[in-house]
Amino acid sequence: MVQQWGIKFAVLLITDHFGKIVANVCEKLLKQGPLTLDLLVRYTELSTVHVKNSLLVLIQHNCVQPFHFQGVTIDESKVKTQYLVLFDNILHRARFPKFMEIVSEELGDKCAQIFKGLLHNGRLNLKQMVDRASQEKAEAEDTVRESLCKLLMARYVERCPIPEVSIVEEVDDKKKRGSKAAKEFKAPVTTEDRVREAATHGDTARFSLTADTGYNSDEETKPSDISVAENVAKEESTLWRANFEEFIRYLRDKALIENVRARMDDGAATVLRAILEATRNKEKQVKIEKSVPLPLDTIFTEVMKTENGRTMTMDRVKASLVQLGCSNQMLYEYIIDLEHIIHWARNEEVESIVLKRYGRDAYRMFRYLSKAKQFCPTDKIADDTLVEKKEAPKLLFKLWKENYLQMEKVTVTLSAGNTGKLSTIYMWQVNQPLLWEHVLDELYHGALNLKLRIAFEQETNEEILNIPKKKINDSEPLRKKHRRLQNVILLLGSSLIKLDDTIMLFNDF
Amino acid sequence: MSKEKMKNADKYGMNRLQESVSPQRKRQRVSEPSLTNEERLLYNLIRSKTNIGISTLEMKRETNLPPTVVNKFLKLLVSKDMVKEVPTIQNKGRKHFMATEFVPSEEITGGHFYSDGNLDKELIDALKKVCVKCISMQRVSTCDGCLEWCKKTGVFTTEVTEKQIKGILETLVLDNEIMQMTSTGYGDFASIPVGKTCYICKNKGVVKGGKKSVDSTSFPCFSCQRMSFCSPDGAVSPATCVYYQKWLDF
Repeated sequence: MVQQWGIKFAVLLITDHFGKIVANVCEKLLKQGPLTLDLLVRYTELSTVHVKNSLLVLIQHNCVQPFHFQGVTIDESKVKTQYLVLFDNILHRARFPKFMEIVSEELGDKCAQIFKGLLHNGRLNLKQMVDRASQEKAEAEDTVRESLCKLLMARYVERCPIPEVSIVEEVDDKKKRGSKAAKEFKAPVTTEDRVREAATHGDTARFSLTADTGYNSDEETKPSDISVAENVAKEESTLWRANFEEFIRYLRDKALIENVRARMDDGAATVLRAILEATRNKEKQVKIEKSVPLPLDTIFTEVMKTENGRTMTMDRVKASLVQLGCSNQMLYEYIIDLEHIIHWARNEEVESIVLKRYGRDAYRMFRYLSKAKQFCPTDKIADDTLVEKKEAPKLLFKLWKENYLQMEKVTVTLSAGNTGKLSTIYMWQVNQPLLWEHVLDELYHGALNLKLRIAFEQETNEEILNIPKKKINDSEPLRKKHRRLQNVILLLGSSLIKLDDTIMLFNDF
Repeated sequence: MSKEKMKNADKYGMNRLQESVSPQRKRQRVSEPSLTNEERLLYNLIRSKTNIGISTLEMKRETNLPPTVVNKFLKLLVSKDMVKEVPTIQNKGRKHFMATEFVPSEEITGGHFYSDGNLDKELIDALKKVCVKCISMQRVSTCDGCLEWCKKTGVFTTEVTEKQIKGILETLVLDNEIMQMTSTGYGDFASIPVGKTCYICKNKGVVKGGKKSVDSTSFPCFSCQRMSFCSPDGAVSPATCVYYQKWLDF
C-alpha cells in the first residue's frame, strides 16, 4: 500500500500533467485500490464521461491497467472491468528527463527523438511515430523503423501490455489465505503484481518489432528484409511504449556501482560493472537480491573488455571480488550480494538524516542500535556511546516519536541495595524494514514540498515571468529579480532530481 | 588479614568490595569514636550498603527515624569523618551517602568518563582528537598503539586506561570517523599481527564518482524537526517555511 505522502505527491504530479479532473480519478484509485467504472463515478462525483475520459488518458499514459477477475462460476456481475492504478509509473513521469538523457547518450539523437514522442504520448504505433518524425524533419520510414529497432534491442521500448487482462480471483476468505501463507512462508503477491505479470508479453514478443512474422529484433535483421505490405495492418494495431523497467535497472546498476566506488575503490566498481553488464539480460526483475552466478574466467574476460579494467591483473580481480563480499562458491562461480549494497546505501541515507536532524549524539546512538539489531536498554546505550545519561532518554524519545526507533517498556524488580522496588526499563531498537517505509514516506513528503515551493515561486513571481526579455534587460532591479527567480527554480529543480535518486533507492531498487 | 596478604589479594584481582571492606573496617574500629545507639544504627545501615551507598530518603524509610533526626546524625557522622557525601549520576538532586572507607562503585559514579557525577565531555573530546590523530598519522593503529600515543603526548593529567581508549575507539567507529578492521598482515597492516583488531581513518572528502545523497544538498526538509507538522495547508507549509526562505535567499 502506498503511504499517504506518496499518494499526495503522485496526485500532484498528475495534476501538473493532466489537470484536476484526471487527478481526482487517480487519487480515488490510489486511495481505494482497484475500482470499477461505476464505483469511480460514485466516489469522484464526476460525470461518467469525465471519468471515462480520465481513465483513457491514464491508460494512454500507462498509469492505469484495466483487468477483471475470472471467477470459477461465470457470473455477469463479477466480470466487470476494474481499473488498477500503477503508482510507480506515475512517479516515473518525474524521471522522464533522466530517461531521455540515457537514451540520447547511448543511442543518439534519432532514437531520442522517437523516444521523446513515446514519452509525450504514452503509446504510439509505428505509423504515428513516422508521422511525428516527418513533421519535424522529412525522415524516411526506414530510419524511424531502424531507430525503433535499436530502442527495442536495448529494451528501452516495449510492446504495450495486453489491453485488459483477466486474472483468476484468489479466495477472498482472508483467514484461509492467512493460514495458507503461514504454511508456505511465501511473500504475498499483490493484485498489482499479478495484473502486471499477466499483462506483460513474453520476452520475444515484448521486444520484437515483427514478432508475429517470426522476426526477432535480437537477430540481425535489415529493415529492407521486412516486407512492409504484409504487416501494415498488424503494425497499426501494435502500440509501443517506453519500458520503464529497463531504465530503473540501468539506474539501479549505476547506483550500485557508484556506491561500491564510494565505499571501496575503483577496482571493485569496475568488476561489479563488468558482472552487471554481462548478466544484464539474464535478470528477470529489477529488484534482484543476488547477481547471476558467473565463473571467474567470464568475469575476468568481461573486466578486460572495459576501459578501466584493462590494466587489472587476475589477482586484482580476485581481490576485488573478495572485497565485494564474494566467498568462493563451491561451483567456482561468483555471486555478489546486491541487496546488501542497496541496504547499506539506504542505511547511510537514514543515518545522514538522523545526523542532520537530531545531532551527533543521536546519530551515534542510532548507529549503535542499527548495529546491535536487537532491543537495548537506555543505560547501556548511553554508556556505550558516551552520551550524558540524562540526555540519552530525551534523544531516544525524540527518535521514537518520529518513528525512527521502536520502543518497549519492561518492568523489573530491582535487587541489591534497593528494596524490591519495581522499575520500568525502556528498551530501544531499530527496525529497518519499518523504518525504511517511514523514511520513504518522508522522502515523498520532501519531494512534494519541493514541487509545491516551485509552484509557489512561479505563482508569486508571475509578473516577472511574463515581462518580455528586452524590458528585463533594460532595468537593473528587474534583472536582479529575474536572476534570483531563475536561480531559485534551478536549485529547487536540481534538488528534486537528487531527492528522486534517493526515492528510487528506497522504492524501486 | 596481614598487609602481605592484602597485597596478594590485590595481585590476584580479588574484587574491590572484598579488598576494601575487611582491612579498612579493622582500622576504623580501632579509632572509632564513641557513637550513640541511634548514630550507630544509622552508621551501620550506611556501611552495610558498601560501595553503593544510600540516599537520605532510603535512610529515613529503613531506620524509621524522623527526618530531622536523620539529618542531625548524618551531619555528626560526616563531621566525625565516618561518612561522606558522594555525587551520583542517577538522582542528581538527592543526597547520597557512603561510609568513608569505600570507593564509590561505577553504578554510582557512571564509569570511566564521569567526574563528579557528570560526563567529562572535555576529556572525551580530547581523547577522541588524540586517537584520530594517532590513527591518521600511523595510517593504521590498534588500541594499544593509541594508548601508547596518548601516554606519550603527555596532555592528560590523569592516567588514561586501556578501557577508556577502547571506549573512545568504539564511539569513533559509531561517529563514522574511523573504521574497525582485522589485520591481514599485508601492506599497511604489515606492522600488526594477522587477525588483530585495528582501526583506520575514513578517508573523508574523497567523494569519488560524486555519489549523490540527501546529505550533500542543503535541502532543509531533512534537517527540520517540524516535518510532521508540515502540510500544504497547515501552519507550517513549504510556501511559508522559514528554512526554505533562508535556503533560497540569493
